Amino acid sequence: MSDTARSAGFWKRNQLKIAPWAFLAPGAIMFLLYVLIPIVQSVWISFHDWDGLGDKVWIGLGNYVELLDDDTFYVALKNNLIWLALYLLAIPMGLATALFLNQTVWGIRLYKSLFFFPFVISQVVVGLMFTWFYAPDFGLFSQLIKWLTGTEIAVLADERFVTLGIIVAGLWPQTAYCMILYLTGLNNLNPEQIEAARMDNARGWRLLWHVILPQLAPATFIAMVVTVIGALRSFDLVSIMTAGGPYGSSQVLSYFMYEQALSEYGYRMGYGAAIAVVLFLIMMVFITLFIVRMIAQERNR
Amino acid sequence: MAEVSLSKVTKEFGAVSVIKGIDLQIADGEFCVFVGPSGCGKSTLLRMVAGLEEISSGALRIGGRDMTQVGPSDRGVAMVFQSYALYPHMTVAENIGFGLRMTGHDKAEIAKRTSAAAKMLQLDHLLDRKPGQLSGGQRQRVAIGRAIVRNPDVFLFDEPLSNLDAALRVQMRGEISRLHQDLGATMIYVTHDQVEAMTMADKIVVLSAGHIEQVGSPLELYHRPRNLFVAGFIGSPKMNFLTVEARPAPGGAEVTLPGGAVVTLAGQIAVAGQMTLGLRPEHASATGVGDAVLEGTVKLAEHLGSETLFFVALSDGSEIAVKADGLASERPGDRMRVGVPARACHLFDAAGQALINGDLTR
Repeated sequence: MSDTARSAGFWKRNQLKIAPWAFLAPGAIMFLLYVLIPIVQSVWISFHDWDGLGDKVWIGLGNYVELLDDDTFYVALKNNLIWLALYLLAIPMGLATALFLNQTVWGIRLYKSLFFFPFVISQVVVGLMFTWFYAPDFGLFSQLIKWLTGTEIAVLADERFVTLGIIVAGLWPQTAYCMILYLTGLNNLNPEQIEAARMDNARGWRLLWHVILPQLAPATFIAMVVTVIGALRSFDLVSIMTAGGPYGSSQVLSYFMYEQALSEYGYRMGYGAAIAVVLFLIMMVFITLFIVRMIAQERNR
Repeated sequence: MAEVSLSKVTKEFGAVSVIKGIDLQIADGEFCVFVGPSGCGKSTLLRMVAGLEEISSGALRIGGRDMTQVGPSDRGVAMVFQSYALYPHMTVAENIGFGLRMTGHDKAEIAKRTSAAAKMLQLDHLLDRKPGQLSGGQRQRVAIGRAIVRNPDVFLFDEPLSNLDAALRVQMRGEISRLHQDLGATMIYVTHDQVEAMTMADKIVVLSAGHIEQVGSPLELYHRPRNLFVAGFIGSPKMNFLTVEARPAPGGAEVTLPGGAVVTLAGQIAVAGQMTLGLRPEHASATGVGDAVLEGTVKLAEHLGSETLFFVALSDGSEIAVKADGLASERPGDRMRVGVPARACHLFDAAGQALINGDLTR
């Protein structure tokens, strides 16, 4: 009797301190279990030679030294940088689409849905569609090029164009994503502010640049984050469209890691983990930048 | 010179007619207030003057020039918005100077005019702040500063005080009036608050359902309302309306009040019939002094210190408000004899048009 009274008292007294942790717990445990621990494990594995089944053999920085001598690694790194640079085009393209669709005409909801559609369908489907689109003989794009130039280009079989071809496929859904972010931002604009700007003689580009874009800054920030991260972890399209080919010329780090560690080319877990660690470090640079900016913004508020 | 003139101006949104043919002259330097209940079209009319809404038909002239088709930034007008519409990412100085920047003034000129406007509005110490760091009254001043700096011929205000608390509203009301005296510019001011209209205006335009009910000075509207709508809208507390029987009589109009008392109003009416008598609470007497007396029971007493407001139920069930001395001691349930002075009574015909105005300035 007195025991239960005391325990109820303890709960009453510490409720405010315990409650936040209780609410945090499910998410925190998941994050620990599926994110933090695997990161540590990956780093640990990257110092070993391991086929995934047998004994781990400690080789220190051996995997990293090998990586520095691996031509495919440099191809993948270079391709990731190209992805990063060109994928950012999704942001201005998304903005342009959003501005275009931000009007009230009959059936605008349908048009918005159609423009958003590529983001809804699976990346696998996007990859397949573009593969057909580029396909020599019957692909729409190849036919167009043939009609324009007289020669045919097999985009996905050409080392010069293959990465660009995949990025274009990736831009399609990414633009739709950025568009939705901007449409939401445009919805939240204060119409009186636009009118005030009109009275202040700001029109067209100047209105966009001085009044509308600054207010869309939060949307731009989120678009930037998802696009940069999307570019760095590009995997699905490469896997579906080329499997890194031809001759590894469309490799990116994440697909390279998968190929080394988990595919029919072998089960070099240690080597794959080393690639993953490198990719993780590159991502951390951007994620840190984003977080620093977010904290600075919150302080300003 | 910047007089504003509207002739036969209309506005339609699709099939809905919002402004139904407005003719209005606003003289140079005049402070004109558009007042009316919400949905009467007063804001739309202001936005049509600003150029933010197209004019469906009719003509708008500002300073003698036809502005019907001219863009908002070229009409020589500046507007203060209800939400202030400040640019949140710019400092106060940038907000005020933005219009000048967009019209291509050089930096030194912008800085000079911005600081002059800021000084006028006591914003000098806030020029580097962002709007988010300002109080409501300060934001309001920045919005006004943004209008002043462009040196417009006509200022437009769209319910600028409705987001402020009561004390600040009174203060800003005074500041805007002072600004009008200092600048001498034409100002058009939209509000639904008849107190703001009465205190600030040179000329009040009472609007209802897209047309003008009456135009006049505050006292003209108070003493000589043209119809029931204006009589009920202007003045606080609201004018009392009593259903009465009236007939022509030698020396004026004979009116039978609820309860049977008869009062004779000076003025001519053509026919007899059921009409509406208007009497303002401040003109009714709680002590029974007047040309006729209404018997009733006090339902509610509001003691405001300086005055007391009684709501009195009459024998026929209608209720009238009576403004009395602050020391009046009647309580709910007490009998009261309400005095009706004939010279303060308004008489309206069945269509709501005023036949006799109880104009106390005569």
